[in-house]
Amino acid sequence: MEADVAVIGSGPAGLTAAIHARRSGASRVVLLEREEELGGILKQCIHNGFGLEQFKQDYTGPEYAERLINELQHTDVQCLLNTLVTDLSPDRIITTLSPQHGALQIKARSIVLAMGCRERTRGSIGIPGTRPAGIFAAGVAQRFVNIDGYLPGRQAVILGSGDIGLIMARRLTLEGASVIGVYEIMSYPGGLKRNIVQCLNDFGIPLHLSHTVTDIRGRERVEAVVVSRVDDALNPVPGSQQVIQCDTLLLSVGLIPENELSRKAGIELSPDTGGPLTRETMETSVPGVFACGNVSTVFDLVDYVAQTGEAAGRCAARYAAGDLHQSRQPVDIVAGQNVRLLFPQRYGFQDDLVLFIRAAEPVENPVTVEVKPPGSKITRPYARPNEMLRVKVPMSKLTEIRQPIRVSIREK
Amino acid sequence: MTAQQQHFVCVVCPIGCEIDVVHDGNRIISMEGSKCERSEEFVTQELVEPMRILTTTVRIEGARWAVVPVRTDKSVPRRLFPRIMRQLRGITLQAPINMLDVVVSDVLGTGADVIATRTMTRE
Repeated sequence: MEADVAVIGSGPAGLTAAIHARRSGASRVVLLEREEELGGILKQCIHNGFGLEQFKQDYTGPEYAERLINELQHTDVQCLLNTLVTDLSPDRIITTLSPQHGALQIKARSIVLAMGCRERTRGSIGIPGTRPAGIFAAGVAQRFVNIDGYLPGRQAVILGSGDIGLIMARRLTLEGASVIGVYEIMSYPGGLKRNIVQCLNDFGIPLHLSHTVTDIRGRERVEAVVVSRVDDALNPVPGSQQVIQCDTLLLSVGLIPENELSRKAGIELSPDTGGPLTRETMETSVPGVFACGNVSTVFDLVDYVAQTGEAAGRCAARYAAGDLHQSRQPVDIVAGQNVRLLFPQRYGFQDDLVLFIRAAEPVENPVTVEVKPPGSKITRPYARPNEMLRVKVPMSKLTEIRQPIRVSIREK
Repeated sequence: MTAQQQHFVCVVCPIGCEIDVVHDGNRIISMEGSKCERSEEFVTQELVEPMRILTTTVRIEGARWAVVPVRTDKSVPRRLFPRIMRQLRGITLQAPINMLDVVVSDVLGTGADVIATRTMTRE
């Protein structure tokens, strides 16, 4: 099978990329999804707050997905469901497996990677203790409750204050479980402030900063966890242990871009984001392969995910048509003062530069985001590690640049 | 009632404005930190009766999945959440259902309908 643009993954990034690839003139667009329905993780995110920026609407995840799916179904984009991509080669041949087509190879002029991310597990953070039932990644518990209709436990402790953990604290409480507390190893919360308010404060669920789980007890099922306070170096403080009786531990301890396929294709990955090193066109280090959404870097808002999906779809269509010129060597974009990570990491002189920036340390006063060269300075009211900053530098200001672009955040 | 100070975080949008309000129990005397009209409305309402959208699921039969996601189509008093949840627990829907179909109209006399937030076909 041949395609102009093949998109891997049908979450918000992939759906948006497929729609925009078609809209930008690619005639044979194929969308590959390993599950039995389109929509990706949005289907289990039943809470509202999606699309406020993009659609000026307060959608739930399923509504946001259905809006995109309806848009897609008005096009002739071909959707292959139950289709698992098992291999991706640098010359853009995709190998898929599905009950309908068996093993099928797709030769694509350009490819958009939109595989999203995975949750970190107990193994990634190394909690000691026994290995009983009742320990779930927060997103897995979310799927059990919101799609399969199962309550994973009655008395829960949540480790990590990422947004999924906060959302699940509220969800379990509404379903009649008791959420004893949310414990966060850092001295500041991981999720959005509005989620602290409407998911924890609204339900009287305590948030314990600078605390972590240091032991898990129980044979068949979780019976208790031990939590400890941590010092400035994040080491547990001896004598601060507290035993908490519970039957469930949810882990909301971070997300990792899912890049097994990217590695197979030989795509260069960023050690900072865990995703492909990407240009402003969303093109990766392998020509004709683009990446967008949480496979690139974990974004805070679906609106940002969709924005990168739109750029990837548009530029993948241009590439397929032979219309994306690479006459100039791209320059690197590097993290300066108080910048933990950046997306994209390269500028290829094809489009305006929309930068997503995560601060290393919180600054609660007005900050200047400096992009140099060209020396653009953009003011923001604050910089917080849990809320990405987004700044735009128009292409007209960037055409003369020869050296790497450095991005810094400074208190005003 | 004497003037008292209260701190709010607006949940209308992801910015999450932090707002300091001085009020006397009924009337707002001063407000600082709000960046838009919507957050001022939010705080005014928050002092009287906190209102939220409720999102949850309801059992469904004949569909691919066991439950279908639903929400209130406008904000309802937060204190009614447990009672609305109890009412929804007693309901089992039959597939097919369309996004925005009404599951319960005027739930607990709030004027809000509980609506489905996705389409589920009959399988």
